[in-house]
Amino acid sequence: MTDSSPSTTAVSVRDLTVEYGERAALDGVSLDVARGGVFGLMGPNGSGKSTLLSVVAGLREPQRGEVRILGDGPSPAVRRRVGVVFQESCLDPLMTLQETLSLHGRLFGIGGGELRGRVEQALERFGLAGRAREPVRALSGGLKRRLQLARALLPEPELLLLDEPTTGLDPDWRRAFWELLRTSLTPTWRSPLSLGEAEGPGVREQSSPRLKSLGYEQEGKAALTVLLATNDVLEAERECDAVAFLHDGRLVAQGTPEELKHGLKHDSVRLWCSNGIATALSNEIAAWPGVGAVTASGQVLHVTVDDVHAFVPRLFQAGGDGIRSLRIETSTLEDAYFRIARTGLSAEDETS
Amino acid sequence: MSGAPARHGAVLALDAWGALLARDLRAFVRSRAQWTSSLLFPLMLLAVVGIGVSEGLDPSRVRDGDYVSFLVPGIIVMTALFSSTFSSASFYQDRDSGMLKVFLASPHTPAEILAGKSLGAIAIGSLQALLILGVAAAIPAIDLAWQHGVVPSLLLAVLAVLLLNVLLSGLAQVLASRIRTMQGFHLVMNLVLFPLLFFSGAFFPLDDLPRWLYALALIDPLTYAVDLLQLALYAEGSAGYLGSGIDLALLGSLAFVLFAWGLRRHPIME
Repeated sequence: MTDSSPSTTAVSVRDLTVEYGERAALDGVSLDVARGGVFGLMGPNGSGKSTLLSVVAGLREPQRGEVRILGDGPSPAVRRRVGVVFQESCLDPLMTLQETLSLHGRLFGIGGGELRGRVEQALERFGLAGRAREPVRALSGGLKRRLQLARALLPEPELLLLDEPTTGLDPDWRRAFWELLRTSLTPTWRSPLSLGEAEGPGVREQSSPRLKSLGYEQEGKAALTVLLATNDVLEAERECDAVAFLHDGRLVAQGTPEELKHGLKHDSVRLWCSNGIATALSNEIAAWPGVGAVTASGQVLHVTVDDVHAFVPRLFQAGGDGIRSLRIETSTLEDAYFRIARTGLSAEDETS
Repeated sequence: MSGAPARHGAVLALDAWGALLARDLRAFVRSRAQWTSSLLFPLMLLAVVGIGVSEGLDPSRVRDGDYVSFLVPGIIVMTALFSSTFSSASFYQDRDSGMLKVFLASPHTPAEILAGKSLGAIAIGSLQALLILGVAAAIPAIDLAWQHGVVPSLLLAVLAVLLLNVLLSGLAQVLASRIRTMQGFHLVMNLVLFPLLFFSGAFFPLDDLPRWLYALALIDPLTYAVDLLQLALYAEGSAGYLGSGIDLALLGSLAFVLFAWGLRRHPIME
């Protein structure tokens, strides 16, 4: 559990319960989202991800539990500091891009020259300037997503809620979406060695917590916190600093992607042996601690292990010249996702 | 810190209302089919029914047998009614397109957002109704009495139209908070509003109706809007009418209550 003080926590949820009739969409969920990173909510369809986001966005009141957003309870004043990109396009097809952004800015209390400046800047930054006067209905799915992101970021929120923002986008658009989000919002970081502004691709690609841990100091505007609901495991693994798995309205796991993968016997080693040693080696390996399934196919062995770094040196000690080559396959968040989902399902089966 | 400037309370809400109103007006102007049909239909009705009755039926109960002029206040009410209903249905379009969620996730209460949305319906309904009045006043064959003088009568007519649209907007909001689909909303609005229109005295004078029908007319809120508009535009005196004071008091309080009630309703989001 993280420190849940307002200065370090963007969203804090305690014992949150939301019911639709008889069904609990969220059932006693408690979690903390640290400020300044990307926090992923994962889980199968109907697990409660979107419901949790809608509570944080102020669109739904929970039956029980407490929600703190940027240190305050849900209120119109807090919503001024929160941006939302909904799962559906949520755009008026008859409005132009410029009108869409202007309306949003005015709803957030921005007016006059400042609004015009921000709209112009947003259209420019998101590559939409040339189409500012076109109706939204003329845009492709990818451009609509860009416009939604531009709209949500126009009031410069401190917390951005993204509900499956890249669903339906092709890989190019998906990458472009995240690049836009990262490059337009990553604050400037100052190196601990005082070498001046630490901008550049290497630094921009690092997450805020990682930069902080390396001693970088943030300059300028406050870091944006992103709360992302997604079904895309690769996206979550690549983009999120921390992830929570929801299943059937309950929080079943929470941590960094590395923490969630820890303990999976899904790091695996595929090795090609010289003639004659595969069977003996297979039997020997199977008895080692931290080794999971060992399968042999001719002279090729496939071994799942807890810790590949401990396993490989020992393997070479045991196999010596008999090992012709090997390939290491590390576990992914997807493996963790399926394990946790299976655990959730089997636990339910046992109780029912 | 957030980059949104620190506008608060009434200023923030007023600005949001202005933005929502401008958006709905822009959408209305762009929807040529909506404004042409909603203007042409009442004018067509005025011509066909008005002239038909004047020439063919017994128009002796109206002044000089001029049923077309008698029909003008009723047609104005009908225009407001159709237009306001149509504009109120944009609530469903915004809900289905997801725009309503975007509005409700902004720094405003649901009541402020609903009020802003209602402003569009009220403005469009009023503008269309007053356009019909303008067209009718410009037709030489139509004889409007303007008994209080043109400007005071016009102001009274504008007030009547505004109050009527506030009332209709409140009614639409109350219904929209209970009815899930736009089709259902239109069905119920028509089911409620058509009888209200027929019993309001829009199409025939109330003073020679059977007692039971007259009693029904008295509990019909549209009756007071029609009466007020007839007194402002058509009537040469107040005899045979309910009276401007009664009309304003009843229409005004009902509009206020219904509008306030409508704003307290939570919109159906799914």
